[in-house]
Amino acid sequence: MTQIFHDLNESQRQAVTTTEGPVLVVAGPGTGKTLTIVRRIAYLIQQGAKQENILAVTFTNRAAREMKGRVNALLGSGADKIFIGTFHLLGLKIIRDNLTDEFILYNRDEQTKLVKALFKDSGMNARQAADRISRIKSFTEDSYDPSESPLVEGGIINPPLKKGLGSRCREALQREAGGFSEQIKRVYGLYQSALAKNSAFDFDDLILKPIEMFGNADSCHFETLKRVQGDIADNDNALLKKYRERFKYIIVDEYQDINPAQYRLLRLLAGSDGRICAVGDPDQAIYSFRGADVEHFLNFTKDFGGARTITLTDNYRSTGVILNASGAMIKNNLKRIDKELRPAGESGSPLNIISAPDDKAEGRIIVSEIEKRIGGTSHFKLINKKAADEFSGQSYRFSDFAVIFRTNAQARAIEEAFIESGIPYQVIGKGNSIQKKELEETVSYLRSILKPENPPIPPFAKGGLTANEEKLLTAADFYDPKAEAVTLMTMHTAKGLEFKVVFIAGVEDGLIPFTLNKEDVDIEEERRLFYVGMTRAKDELFLIHARNRFIYGQRLSPSPSTFLGELPDQFVQNRVIADKIRSREKDRQIGLF
Amino acid sequence: MRFIADLHIHSKYSRATSKDMSPESIWRWAQLKGITVIGTGDFTHPKWFKELNEKLGSSGNGLFKLKDEFKSDNVPASCKADVSFLLSAEISCIYGKNGKTRKIHSIIFVPDFTDAAKINLALSKIGNLTADGRPILGLDAKELLKITMDASPDAMLVPAHAWTPHFSVFGAASGFDSLEECYEELTPYIYAIETGLSSDPAMNRRLSALDRITLISNSDAHSPAKIGRESNIFDTEISYKAMIDALKTGKGFTGTIEFFPEEGKYHYDGHRLCEVSLSPKETIKHNGLCPVCGKKVTIGVMHRVEKLADREEGFKLKGAPSFHSIIPLPEIIAETLKVGVNSKAVDNVYQSMLYKFGNEFKILMDVPLNDIEKAGSPLLREAISRMREGRVHIAPGYDGEYGKIKIFEAVERKEIKGQETLF
Ligand SMILES: [Zn+2]
Ligand SMILES: [Zn+2]
Repeated sequence: MTQIFHDLNESQRQAVTTTEGPVLVVAGPGTGKTLTIVRRIAYLIQQGAKQENILAVTFTNRAAREMKGRVNALLGSGADKIFIGTFHLLGLKIIRDNLTDEFILYNRDEQTKLVKALFKDSGMNARQAADRISRIKSFTEDSYDPSESPLVEGGIINPPLKKGLGSRCREALQREAGGFSEQIKRVYGLYQSALAKNSAFDFDDLILKPIEMFGNADSCHFETLKRVQGDIADNDNALLKKYRERFKYIIVDEYQDINPAQYRLLRLLAGSDGRICAVGDPDQAIYSFRGADVEHFLNFTKDFGGARTITLTDNYRSTGVILNASGAMIKNNLKRIDKELRPAGESGSPLNIISAPDDKAEGRIIVSEIEKRIGGTSHFKLINKKAADEFSGQSYRFSDFAVIFRTNAQARAIEEAFIESGIPYQVIGKGNSIQKKELEETVSYLRSILKPENPPIPPFAKGGLTANEEKLLTAADFYDPKAEAVTLMTMHTAKGLEFKVVFIAGVEDGLIPFTLNKEDVDIEEERRLFYVGMTRAKDELFLIHARNRFIYGQRLSPSPSTFLGELPDQFVQNRVIADKIRSREKDRQIGLF
Repeated sequence: MRFIADLHIHSKYSRATSKDMSPESIWRWAQLKGITVIGTGDFTHPKWFKELNEKLGSSGNGLFKLKDEFKSDNVPASCKADVSFLLSAEISCIYGKNGKTRKIHSIIFVPDFTDAAKINLALSKIGNLTADGRPILGLDAKELLKITMDASPDAMLVPAHAWTPHFSVFGAASGFDSLEECYEELTPYIYAIETGLSSDPAMNRRLSALDRITLISNSDAHSPAKIGRESNIFDTEISYKAMIDALKTGKGFTGTIEFFPEEGKYHYDGHRLCEVSLSPKETIKHNGLCPVCGKKVTIGVMHRVEKLADREEGFKLKGAPSFHSIIPLPEIIAETLKVGVNSKAVDNVYQSMLYKFGNEFKILMDVPLNDIEKAGSPLLREAISRMREGRVHIAPGYDGEYGKIKIFEAVERKEIKGQETLF
């Protein structure tokens, strides 16, 4: 009991103990969200809830693993009847427990391959078509009130495109929507029957099938898929009833990022009296491109009558400066719940805004700042005494550092700087890193040496999973936790993580907000992304912009991000790294006079 | 059989290493120096691993020989000898433990390519092995020991240059105060440590905690000419197993060939930028701060040993192997000629002596002084004699600056030269 409330602040304690009726927990970055959820689970158990009555849904496998580990640590062993996992895992379990037929799971690549095979002669872009099918199956494309937008006459729109469209673009879309809807209906039908023929489900089915089993959709028919909704709460499906009785206590992490299908599944499970606790932060909603909609969060109190809102405001992660600066910036968004975060720690040093000559220098600056803090990484690169003294008495490891960027296309230049230095790093995400490529070559050569024995080396996360469960693992699940390395990743991947020192690279117009190769921009979502990136930092935050950059095959001379202008002056210090050639010229001039 | 082994060198794939560090030139220089078994270094590097696998052939005893087609004929007949390779690598672990940044280098020995491949496979999941022949991994040194033992029961891990301030298990800047603090329950699997250039066995024996530990010495060479500058003397059969057993039990490990520790880069304390060199006592007097600029000085090996030692200076451990303190022959020649060590003049004398007497170790330790005088000069004879007796003056190295050897005072040189006949 004492353990359950140990070190909790007042709002966390409320979030832990408010177990009757729907609760919305607004949890800004670093406010102890996971801690609160874990304690809430412990509290429920302590109040007499059975383990199997608790359903905790997370956004990533990584978050589920961490939560499970912490629940086990708190409750002692044997907390394995509590469901802690992603939406996909939840769907997979519901299907497996109620469907006798064997099925296989198609991941995104396999799904695209199928689409390609089905329509190889049509000239259709398979990836785009697969994305489109995915949006239909997750109800994303018809989840908006048609009266709101002129674009839905064709029945289909792309939600990220909805916001802030230029009129020219809007007209083009409207034209397309009319013609395309017929085609996509046909594609959809063929795709669905091919899946059925192969006894295969795709990832979207993991959510859609349970909704179907609960009598609230019919994925076989495009038309009915949209229509069959009814009043979710009044559903009296027998299977649903069983699950409602089982999952008496639902906790949803990262509620701001759920998509319409996940939303529908949750509403079905929660029922009208809704013992659901939604936790999240609308300022960190960053998945609209996947169909997530921050509106679900903002509408929670309307959807679930009598819901209480509890806001966690004490931030235990970042310095006051990081918090105040990022807080001032995110206030420029309109779609949000206003809240003030209070730093629990020191105010800290100002943010470092660095202007680098180009993207290569950007990488070198990052590496040298890391070396300064680690204190040199080899006999040949011992850091000078001045730098070493500045950080002596502090202890850093490589895993204290992260480099965060907007798009995977930025990774390469940064990776090169790390390879040059020999500092261990890992690129998390789908991008094809130099390291991964080299690793594959090395491993296959070594395997050939070991032919006779060929020891299988399983990724650490894999143990005891079924084949279908294994499919749910992402690249981020395959890193050995024993290895300390600097993490390179996109802002999307960075969510939920924290580091002592964070470098955000490419803080330039074009990248942040992201407008390269993209006609339409959701400025608020871009600002949220930058906010997520900034609030990963505990002690120090570097915001670096390059004056020249080579990206997507073009040479650019970008301006610093407009978001930098939203950071109050008192929280930042600026540093300009001169071009090498220019500085030499300057020297010569000084010599002349 | 008595033979000399240098088990820690680096290949051309390591940072700041000569392009000449190829299997062929390592093979040649091992003969010039008098090394019978030489570590390959860098087996973790994919390209070096491949090259070794191509150019070396197994001797069936856990050691390897350069295949005949890669052998050159540019070794003087006087130096020609059999050279065996032992698969070795060095890993730099940089990680956090008990609230401090730790940077520890370890050497690993394995008896065959399969075991090397297994270790490489395990380590390639931890970090990048391609960037550097001596890879930096964010891995606990204890975890590295575990991975090594899991991959190969015949492998051996030895903490490298155990006293250097920045990258070693006892280093002042980022090491530990004891092997136990680093390796915990796996400590019994540490059988040997490498003393490094700045410490000698006598200094190490002042720690009773190291009584069961075999003290080995290697060159850590980054260029062929540096091969063997420190090495080990074995008296066993020439095989991987016999050598590892000797390291484990001390039996058959008869001693080391060492630098004068003062010559090493980190013997004394000091601050290189200010050219301040301090003895441990002086450092304490200055509260660990540089008397010129006031910044913290780099604590050297002698100071560190002083701090961890539980025995007085001069303690001799019964039954411990002996060691020979040497000065590399080119440096001695340079001293007698009063020219730079890399000069043509030094090289000429060096080559002609190798040609006459055989390998460098033979000249430094075994060739009769009279013969040296006949072939070289009275000054060279006197210099080698003084080195063999340990009568040399050395300004101790500090903060990355090598120590400066002086075998002769100016006056002495004149006196000896006076007796000199025609050269
Ligand atoms: Zn080393
Ligand atoms: Zn100084």
